[in-house]
Amino acid sequence: MSERGSLARALRRTALPLLCAGAVVTALAFLAEPLFAQGYTPREYGDFPIIGSRAAVWIAAQLHLFFAAFVLGVPMFAVVAELVGMLNKEERFDKLAKEFTRLLLVSYSATAIWGAVLVFALITLYPRVWGYLAEVFAPSMWVYVGVFFFESFTLYLYYYGWDHLKKGRAKWVHWGLGILLNLWGTIVMVIANSWLTYMMSPPAEVTPDTAPDMVRFWSAFANATWMPINVHRFIANIVFGGAIVGAYAAFRFLSAKTDEERAHYDWMGYIGNFVAITALIVLPFAGYYLGREIYEFNQQMGTTMMGGFMSWLWVVQAFLIGVLFLAGNYYLWVGMGRIPGAERFQPYTKYMLVILVLGVMVWATPRNMIASRDELTAMGGQFHPFLGVLGVMSAKNTAVNLMILTTFLSFLLYGRANKRPTVSWAQRGTIIQGALFVIAAAIVLFYGVYGYFVPAIVRIGFSVYQVLAVLAAIGGVVTLNVLMMRGAESRGEIRWGQMPDRAQYALLVLAVTFTWLMGLMGFARSGIRQHWHIYEVMRDTSVDAATPALGYASIVISACVLMFLGMVAFIFWVGGLAEKPVISGVGSVPPPEPAAGD
Amino acid sequence: MTNLKVLGVVLGTVAVYTWVANSIPQLESVVPEELSFGADVTEAELVAAGQALFNGGGGCLVCHGLPTRAPNLLTDQGGEGTIGQRCATRVPGEDCKTYIYESLTEPTAYVLDGFDPMVFQARVFSGAQIWALVAFLQDQGGPVTVTGADVAAAAEADAAAPAAGGPLTASMDPLEIMRANLCLGCHVLDGEGVATGPPFDGMGDRIDADRIRRSILDPGAEAAEGFQDQLGTMTPTIADLLSARQLEVVVQFLAGQGG
Repeated sequence: MSERGSLARALRRTALPLLCAGAVVTALAFLAEPLFAQGYTPREYGDFPIIGSRAAVWIAAQLHLFFAAFVLGVPMFAVVAELVGMLNKEERFDKLAKEFTRLLLVSYSATAIWGAVLVFALITLYPRVWGYLAEVFAPSMWVYVGVFFFESFTLYLYYYGWDHLKKGRAKWVHWGLGILLNLWGTIVMVIANSWLTYMMSPPAEVTPDTAPDMVRFWSAFANATWMPINVHRFIANIVFGGAIVGAYAAFRFLSAKTDEERAHYDWMGYIGNFVAITALIVLPFAGYYLGREIYEFNQQMGTTMMGGFMSWLWVVQAFLIGVLFLAGNYYLWVGMGRIPGAERFQPYTKYMLVILVLGVMVWATPRNMIASRDELTAMGGQFHPFLGVLGVMSAKNTAVNLMILTTFLSFLLYGRANKRPTVSWAQRGTIIQGALFVIAAAIVLFYGVYGYFVPAIVRIGFSVYQVLAVLAAIGGVVTLNVLMMRGAESRGEIRWGQMPDRAQYALLVLAVTFTWLMGLMGFARSGIRQHWHIYEVMRDTSVDAATPALGYASIVISACVLMFLGMVAFIFWVGGLAEKPVISGVGSVPPPEPAAGD
Repeated sequence: MTNLKVLGVVLGTVAVYTWVANSIPQLESVVPEELSFGADVTEAELVAAGQALFNGGGGCLVCHGLPTRAPNLLTDQGGEGTIGQRCATRVPGEDCKTYIYESLTEPTAYVLDGFDPMVFQARVFSGAQIWALVAFLQDQGGPVTVTGADVAAAAEADAAAPAAGGPLTASMDPLEIMRANLCLGCHVLDGEGVATGPPFDGMGDRIDADRIRRSILDPGAEAAEGFQDQLGTMTPTIADLLSARQLEVVVQFLAGQGG
């Protein structure tokens, strides 16, 4: 690839996001004064044909968020992969990081386009809300556009400078660009988060009578749910990025023509899944933090979210998360088939499957469902006579913590499958690791059972002990494992590429499920405002003020997911036409000869 | 063929999730209906409107559909019957209508043992909506005594509510002004109020009138000693809700609290 060609491509790709950013700036500038000048009163709502204004803004926002999550999540592990390559002097990680970034590059324009679509949709369909938000947040909107500008150029420097900044100190400069890219991306995210979280949780001093120019900027910016959403989205973006990369690798694996390609995409799929599931393990804790802050901000909002018209949503969420855990573990278990030595662990997978399935069933068991008098009568009481006991948080927390422990065990077994430790204390170390698992599981079970015998306020605190026990076990086992595997002998190379197709479909299911779950949680977060644009400050008086039921929401979410995946497929396909994928050089190992007598 | 298989897996997965979400009970969060009743409103109209609010936009079922969160209203609670049957005996000397009305508008006034204060936020409902709810709850086993006069009075009160930025009360009594502006929601005076911010008791010994005035006009400017972490939590527009004379009444009253 010539330098001139790279530069021209970079400029072309730069042009579109910057044009979008320029359009947004122009829109903001237009909105700032003239609409309110000379007594002109803007209309409150616009009309969008066929699907209506709400669905139009919903789709634009969701698609923007899907792409934004991807372009924010991927750089995080691109720089980690690059750093691993630098420290271990393994070029395959460097090449992997570059391919991640190539995926990022082609998605960036789509993110900007959908951002512009969202802003224009808000301006034309919800001018009153947008005018209010623009007045409260104007300074941050200008900063947002500026940081977006920096982010764009840093991305192009990062990708197109890859081969130029390859050696010695220059490589560290390049890695620094990756860090800078993440920094810009995170700033952009937290700025936008302040706008949407303000709509959920405006400061207590803001009332319907408070003029927007009287709202103090920092008070609005750093509102009650801002930081929890920042944390939750930061982690969720990593999960999402990993899942999409995994799906990309799975598709390329299935379409691969050579063993070398299959080996490369098999490895890439494993890394994507590893990143996604590892971050997923932490995500419930961030979700718990967010939920607690919502309750603290407004108890009625919290109750509406968990026990009101959204109570059934959590049953669907549990189903989706169950699919994620099962598909992620299934991928690892199938993958063990190509690892010499893994056969010694395979008998355990059926027990792990039982724990996961039971865990999912408990987690999906509802407890407090909103019910009319007739429904209560039909059920014979407030709770189901048998299943009601499993619906309480004691059982759910126990289930999810055991599922997390089990998934971590899958990763551990996968990683150790083809290794034989050589340190003298290997056996004791393994026993200690096993003990850590058992102790953590015992603590989780103990507090799970004990929780039934104490008041709710005490029971809530038990979840902290359960989480700490699991995290401590994970930390202890990982530390021991790192020390134990130093200088370990290999039982044989992983036969990258010799992965059954069904494992790749599991990766695809993971990506679709993550995407759908993200849409569902977006609906939950936005829907708990109910008929308020800005909760208890600005009432939604449009024809779409009622928050729809989950059935309608699921159709919009599915439409968004299919549109997103379709566009991603197209973008990756177009990107693949222009540039050949960077094959990492992961060696494919021929399958073992059948043993005599087989 | 691979492309078709991938497409099938994607479409199949999305279809399953859409089917699951459509298979569960469909609950929509409806908007509370605006009510424009006059003094000639009938009992049936009030009860019907209250029922619609209770089961829909009022969000009452979120807690009262679940007896673990809130007392049962539509079915028996502790052997005392439905809410319409037990409301008149809950507080000695207080009739059913007053009891339910005050329970709605002052959620901390009557909290049953074993339950937390109600999270219902009456301020986002109109007077007519509140009275419609009262009528519906009375109708659960008891006579409805809410009248068109109650509704008309509430409508008048709503109409007379201060415009944005205006005083919340015309009173010149410092205590009434402070109560109307919810000052005692964060400050304690003579045992009344919530101790979130600096107490009003003894305030005159700690700071002078100028400082009190500044603190009301610009609450975020400086923090009281020991309450630095509360800086920025007091509503900055509080002074907009007081007339100049009311501001001075409150300032002088607080400056006089102490030794």
